[in-house]
Amino acid sequence: MQERKTQKEGTMGSNSSDDFTTVIGPDAVFKGELRFEKGVRHLGAFEGQIETKGHLLIAEGARLVGEVSAGNIDVEGNVKGNLKSSGKVRLTSSAKLEGDLHTSRLEVADGAVFIGRCVVGSNGTAKPVENKPADANANKGPVEVVKK
Amino acid sequence: MVKSNRADKGKERDVACTHCGEPVRVATRAMSIFCPHCKQRLILEDYRIRAYQASRLFATCGDIVVEESGFVSAPIRVANLTVRGRIQGDIDARGVVSVSATGRIRGDVRASRLKVAAGATLDGFFRIAPDAVSLTS
Repeated sequence: MQERKTQKEGTMGSNSSDDFTTVIGPDAVFKGELRFEKGVRHLGAFEGQIETKGHLLIAEGARLVGEVSAGNIDVEGNVKGNLKSSGKVRLTSSAKLEGDLHTSRLEVADGAVFIGRCVVGSNGTAKPVENKPADANANKGPVEVVKK
Repeated sequence: MVKSNRADKGKERDVACTHCGEPVRVATRAMSIFCPHCKQRLILEDYRIRAYQASRLFATCGDIVVEESGFVSAPIRVANLTVRGRIQGDIDARGVVSVSATGRIRGDVRASRLKVAAGATLDGFFRIAPDAVSLTS
């Protein structure tokens, strides 16, 4: 069992069908609140709130309007709303996300569109950037011009 | 005095003005020019920042690398930006903003592309799209 779990974690992002126990089909139009324990593959149109501890895949062509809270989130389609992830958020080249994003890790492919507030760091809470430089002696140090 | 490299002589490249956004053709060896459209001075060099740097505006048509020991407290306008250190300020990048595991950004970011390594810290409003940067707007 432990071995299988490790194997699953290793293939995160490969979107194998084993990861998704629930599928919202491409012809489904749904409004409301959904809660899952495991993975969800969303292929249709959804408006509302999704909460899962597992992996959420919003497939290419799928639309989602609302709030999402999940372990890992893969976005290939259109999302308007806020995403909160305790793991990793992956935006593929076909992804379009308009909304706020709170996550520990972020992966953005070339061509992806993301408009919104972004907080990336441990548990989606960015560490504050101190106003003072780390080295007090390095006050306004030189800037090196890179020779071509 | 730096002698010009014969191989680069006559070579040109296209850049976008950091003030008006208009395309400008410049010599590869040029370090700065005046934009023919808005008449503002354009810096064309690449920078590597290894220490604390604060200014009203940090703009170049080249690339900027903020090293792990670097800390920039300024709005940045750049072609491509690599962040291994810390930035506090808004970023306008025509190309890629690359944030490595040690990189930390606090500020709004407009860029065509974004690369984020595991461990990086970001906080701000992001506009990532192939046509995200329009300096005239």
